[in-house]
Amino acid sequence: MIKLIIDNLRVEVPPGTRVIDAAEQAGIMIPRFCYHPALGAVGACRVCAVQVLEGSCRGIRMSCMIEAEEGMVISTTDEEAVAFRRQVIEWLMANHPHDCPVCDEGGQCLLQDMTVSGGHGRRRLPVKKRTHIDQHLGPLVVHEMNRCIQCYRCVRFYREYAGYTDLGVMGSAGRVYFGRRSDGVLESPFAGNLIDVCPTGVFTDRPSRFKGRYWDFERTPSVCIHCSLGCRVTVNTRYREVVRVEAAHDPQVNGWFICDRGRYGFPYASSPQRPRSARIDGRKSGVDEALDEAARRLSGIAQRHGSGSVALAASGRVCLETLGALTRFGSEKGWRGPFFRAGPRTAEALQSASKNLEEKISISLKDIEKSDFILLVGCDPVNEAPMLALSVRQARRRGAVVALADARSVQLPLDARRLALRPSQLTAALMRFAGKAVADGGAALSDRARGFLQACRDSRVDPAVDEQIDHLGLAARESRRPVVVCGTSAVAPDTPAAAANVARLLAAEGRKAGFFPVLPGANALALGLAGRTADHGAALREALEKGDVRALVVVETNLSELGFSADDPLLENLEALVVCDCLDSAAGRAARVFIPTQTVFEAGGTFVSAEARVREARPAFRGGTPVAQVSGGGHPPRTFSPDIPGADPLPAWQVLAALAREGTRVSADTLRKALPAPLCGAAPGKRLALPASAPDAFQPPEDPATAADGGLEVVVCEHIFGSEPLSRRAACLQELESAPRLGLHPGDAAALQLSAGQRVAVDCGRGVIEGEIEIVNEMARGVLLVPRLRGIDWHAAADGPLVVAVADIRSVKPNGES
Amino acid sequence: MSSDRTKKTKPADHPGTLIAESIKALGSGFATTAKHLLRRPVTEQYPEQKRVLPERSRARIVLTRDPDGRERCVACYLCSAVCPVSCISMQSTGGEGGRRVAAWFRINFSRCIYCGLCEEACPTSAIQLTPDFENCRQDILEMVFEKDDLLVDHGGRDDRYCFYRHAGIATDTAGKGEHVNEQPPVDAKSNLP
Repeated sequence: MIKLIIDNLRVEVPPGTRVIDAAEQAGIMIPRFCYHPALGAVGACRVCAVQVLEGSCRGIRMSCMIEAEEGMVISTTDEEAVAFRRQVIEWLMANHPHDCPVCDEGGQCLLQDMTVSGGHGRRRLPVKKRTHIDQHLGPLVVHEMNRCIQCYRCVRFYREYAGYTDLGVMGSAGRVYFGRRSDGVLESPFAGNLIDVCPTGVFTDRPSRFKGRYWDFERTPSVCIHCSLGCRVTVNTRYREVVRVEAAHDPQVNGWFICDRGRYGFPYASSPQRPRSARIDGRKSGVDEALDEAARRLSGIAQRHGSGSVALAASGRVCLETLGALTRFGSEKGWRGPFFRAGPRTAEALQSASKNLEEKISISLKDIEKSDFILLVGCDPVNEAPMLALSVRQARRRGAVVALADARSVQLPLDARRLALRPSQLTAALMRFAGKAVADGGAALSDRARGFLQACRDSRVDPAVDEQIDHLGLAARESRRPVVVCGTSAVAPDTPAAAANVARLLAAEGRKAGFFPVLPGANALALGLAGRTADHGAALREALEKGDVRALVVVETNLSELGFSADDPLLENLEALVVCDCLDSAAGRAARVFIPTQTVFEAGGTFVSAEARVREARPAFRGGTPVAQVSGGGHPPRTFSPDIPGADPLPAWQVLAALAREGTRVSADTLRKALPAPLCGAAPGKRLALPASAPDAFQPPEDPATAADGGLEVVVCEHIFGSEPLSRRAACLQELESAPRLGLHPGDAAALQLSAGQRVAVDCGRGVIEGEIEIVNEMARGVLLVPRLRGIDWHAAADGPLVVAVADIRSVKPNGES
Repeated sequence: MSSDRTKKTKPADHPGTLIAESIKALGSGFATTAKHLLRRPVTEQYPEQKRVLPERSRARIVLTRDPDGRERCVACYLCSAVCPVSCISMQSTGGEGGRRVAAWFRINFSRCIYCGLCEEACPTSAIQLTPDFENCRQDILEMVFEKDDLLVDHGGRDDRYCFYRHAGIATDTAGKGEHVNEQPPVDAKSNLP
């Protein structure tokens, strides 16, 4: 540790700490514009000047550019340093426009704070101000270049940290300009962070433009529930409406940033279409009456047909409390389920990923940034778990090797070694990779591990790719911190278990190896740990067909995720369909009894992220229809009443308690305790106490290579915008959705005599998927990519990579005729 | 009191002293009355008589307009932030021509203490206090003024100021480089000096 003195305070910091950080540790906030902990120092703004009284470099120095030295004496309040900083602020303000009243940054503007604290009030410069023309940068970010102070934070984030190149810096001298070559939508799905990093108002939020001031917002710590990573966010609410979501700093998970899906995915909570009252048989009713009626119908059906005739359906979107209620009341009442995922393949993939997460190999996003070899298997970081892509990029920037084995043409903001493999080949490829990555015979390994290693060495994929995999395995030999990242939707059911075993094998060799699963939904890990493998959408379908299930309670779940279409005839045959949701869905409209539930912003909730971190969202406001909707845009009503309009929705766990006739006064704590271990011990902010070793560790897959000949493996692809059920309701993100097209490899398209733009219908057994063909060059052969986007009936292929025969693909005319 | 002790006077409760003082008090009282009988009255007969108050006296608040007759308020929330009794609330929104305007603007005059801090905070001279203090209502809800009640059709004290001629943002009033004290926009793609 290095000891130095800053403003007469003794400070002790580790070697390599910058003076600006050392001062911050002592509670002294040195002004800064260009310095950002995640982006590093460039010394561009000159506002962090301090006086170095003792040390190798005396005099006025930029505190972000010098490292702390033993015996250094620094003064931030030195007269010369203060005068220097004051002068710098006056220069920076020389061309700054007079528009704080109409700037959304006002109130949370670093430049405003520094100008006021520097005492600069009147412009003394006699020349006219320099101006810039702004650009239109899409539906998320507003550009106002006049306000720029040339700190370079935006381009450093956008190009260096995030790895996208369409925003850059142009011009010279006083004309330096930060923008695109020409107007256009920012390509990066992390562009929203420009708003957070910009110390002034050059980049401001478009959806919340002119919606209010920072000081008027109720700011609540929360967690993003739009993917399985569990990034920390701050929710800004005002007048019963979520106005803005910002990144909150979490050093272990998201760092300083979040993706645009997490930032702009919230409008579902205050959508005018959001159902706010209960319905019984299509008629509006009070919530108490609907709860009573639903409970009466459910108990009636249970009496007539046995308690097993009532089934529960859930998805990765339910919080831990609701999952606890599902588990507790389900088992108390003898109801079936909760049913989750579409079928045996996806259910097994999720469960093998969840149950194989063990203490030794579980890692955080921060650990991924520090790793030196990353193998991404069947996962598309940007689209499935966006912040993972940024973590992988940081590792790549530090020199890590990144390899990607996937059926899709995965786009990453970094250069990676690619292996285009069908989902059914992934397990074998992983094992072959591990066989090469482990150097010797594995003397230190246990018997089981040695058995797995032998299975790995025997594994074959395809002569064409075996050599590439071997090269990759040899490249991984030298790595000290290898990481295997595995998805759960575009993989074979046994791939996540194999990925965990590979990480275990590398860890058993003495390396700091890690396994990171990418899961479907914010609470998917908990669902995988708490649910039973046999309770999946296909089993539910079978039970419905047989008539074993007569009543279905759907809790915060889109039935398409369970492989049902909106107008599935099986649902019409149900005696009671009870839907509890905060979204307006087809199932909700078809429900016999519909009960509105609160969103995460109103009810709060606990979620377990993919890295087994327990994340708590606190309630941000008490609920109710936004004031703007009650008043129709004008002034708020001039009549007063004690109740909040539109405040009927209840937390989903209270709804479930009422359906089980336990009363709504059930504590969230007891519900969490009803879950099986390790979920019952979940403490917010901590990691789940994972098992030291999974029971079926090093179990080689039964039949690793099951490549189907002649058919195409259908892979449902997530898209960052348009796939996730909550964020796809945000109007600003809908503008950014890709066109829904079915992807084919050029070779397959030629063999099937299909060309780009041609419309085809694919019979998936349970339903027909229809769409236009797109030729995708970098994808695997023998695969059909189905986007999970509006306009495509993807639910027919929802249960993982199923195989369709070539005969099931026929071309259709645009009007639907064959 | 110390001087009383040193001076040799008759005791205060001496009957002669009491009588003399009573007569003196009566006399001075009648003298004052007689003096005012001959003077012009100073009491103003409000409400029959109304005094013209100084221009800067602080009473009912108004929202003024630009020289071109458009709303001056940009709903920046500074007045509501500075208000010590929280009687101002508003909602900002995008208006026509790229302007920022108040979707609604409400002042609760039953709570207002007429301190004038809102006027001082206002960066566009929109909110101003007028000398009109006769602002009473029978129903307390009528003391809650909405934007339409507050808007007047003049510029008040600072009647030639237009914020959008000075702010650097592009609106239908002035584009980039057209504001007061601005150079024309630069060409960022040129590297010429």
